[in-house]
Amino acid sequence: MSLPAGAGNRVITARYDGTWAGLADAPVLPPAAAVLVQDNTEAVRAVWQAATTPRETLIAAATRVGDEQAQELRESGLAVVRSDAVEPPLTGREPEAGRVWLLTSGSTGRPKQVAHTLESLTTVGGDQPRRTWLCPYATGAYAWWQIVTLSLALPGQDVLFVEPSELDRWPQMAVDAGVTAASGTPTFWRQALFRSGDVLAGLQLEQITLGGEPVDQAILDTLREVFPKARISWIYASSEAGAAIAVHDGRAGFPAAWLERDTPGRPRLTVQDGELVIASAKAAEGMDAAIRTGDRAEVVGDRVLITGRIASDEINVGGSKASASKVRGVLLDHPDVRWAAVRGRKAPLVGQVVMAEVVLADGSAVTDADLTAWCAARLPDYSVPRRLRVLPEIPIKETLKSDV
Amino acid sequence: MSTLSRDQVRTMMAEVLSAQGKELPADDSASLETIGFRSLDFSELALRVEDEIGDELNFDAPGLRSIETVGDVLDFLDQLQTA
Repeated sequence: MSLPAGAGNRVITARYDGTWAGLADAPVLPPAAAVLVQDNTEAVRAVWQAATTPRETLIAAATRVGDEQAQELRESGLAVVRSDAVEPPLTGREPEAGRVWLLTSGSTGRPKQVAHTLESLTTVGGDQPRRTWLCPYATGAYAWWQIVTLSLALPGQDVLFVEPSELDRWPQMAVDAGVTAASGTPTFWRQALFRSGDVLAGLQLEQITLGGEPVDQAILDTLREVFPKARISWIYASSEAGAAIAVHDGRAGFPAAWLERDTPGRPRLTVQDGELVIASAKAAEGMDAAIRTGDRAEVVGDRVLITGRIASDEINVGGSKASASKVRGVLLDHPDVRWAAVRGRKAPLVGQVVMAEVVLADGSAVTDADLTAWCAARLPDYSVPRRLRVLPEIPIKETLKSDV
Repeated sequence: MSTLSRDQVRTMMAEVLSAQGKELPADDSASLETIGFRSLDFSELALRVEDEIGDELNFDAPGLRSIETVGDVLDFLDQLQTA
């Protein structure tokens, strides 16, 4: 196998600072391996072997895979590697050269295994300006692979990896490493703006990418204000459907003109019964030709807005259907609200009521009553949050997503 | 589980109404319909009580249909807390 074009790109982790090619002296992994890593240093070593030798690889944070699932991985023919310990596969078979397995985020139940290759994970090509990327995503997740494959495939794309334990102080790490491009969920960006806005504003960001959660206009506008010169993009991607939508015009949603359009090399997007449906060549293998994403899509004027998960979005309040994402959108439109999560809460008489958690701007004097009045002026009665909790800071999970 | 006094629940009821720009009259015989206290408001009040006492109220208890006045609400919540 020839070396990847990005072999000379710089890779920075908590325990490594060098080029991709400099990772070549790591211990050789079994030819078909599930590498359950402690950190990004172990992960990038495994990546380099996957990119330079014919092998089958799954990379995941060790914390995500339980004993039962590890046993199943071994039964499927993969060795399970944890740091220096190797548990051999329980089924003898030839490794599938070039196969890269991903575990989905497992928003419902346990993670599911989906089949990719480095090629199907590589979605950015052509000439790209030289950049140093920040990669804060969970090791082995689809979004993590997006940055990894970008750096492997294109010269001039360096990467600073951030461990989950370092998330509180990434802005300073990014300043120190000279990061010029960063990708994260809206929750990740909100938290950073909320917690370290001043340090963040010192970053010379040229590219800001959002994905992994519905991207609302409020966060795009805030980032535009803080980084007036950066290109701000949001990406719709999933392990199953691949990277399907990339929008760079600073507006939430994507142009409605993209619906039902057949363009070679681009996925075909449709909205069926309020759900986004994607047919893509970059999808994981074994998926239906058209993947029902489970994400709610709504045509508003000339845009298609993706507002949340269909299954979790609806709150049934005494027979009236409140939309958690709409309520959340209204709360986020409030000038003092920095973050909001909305869900249904079991309640007598009406089954469920809408409840919300918010984080306010530093020093804000806004009260529960003010926010209730704000919502009442903009939402039907049954959609107004009946219980409202103000949190001191934005809660965040390992996936960088919050339960919204 | 701790319980709330009738006065404490009354204060909460006034808060539920005042968030909507409505007032709770001093008279316990005031009709819920007249003051605009609906099922959703009742649900909210119940959740406030639950949050305060740290326990779920069992609404399967009988008597819900006879709740027509402010006093009925207060009596009912009192009864639920001690059920």
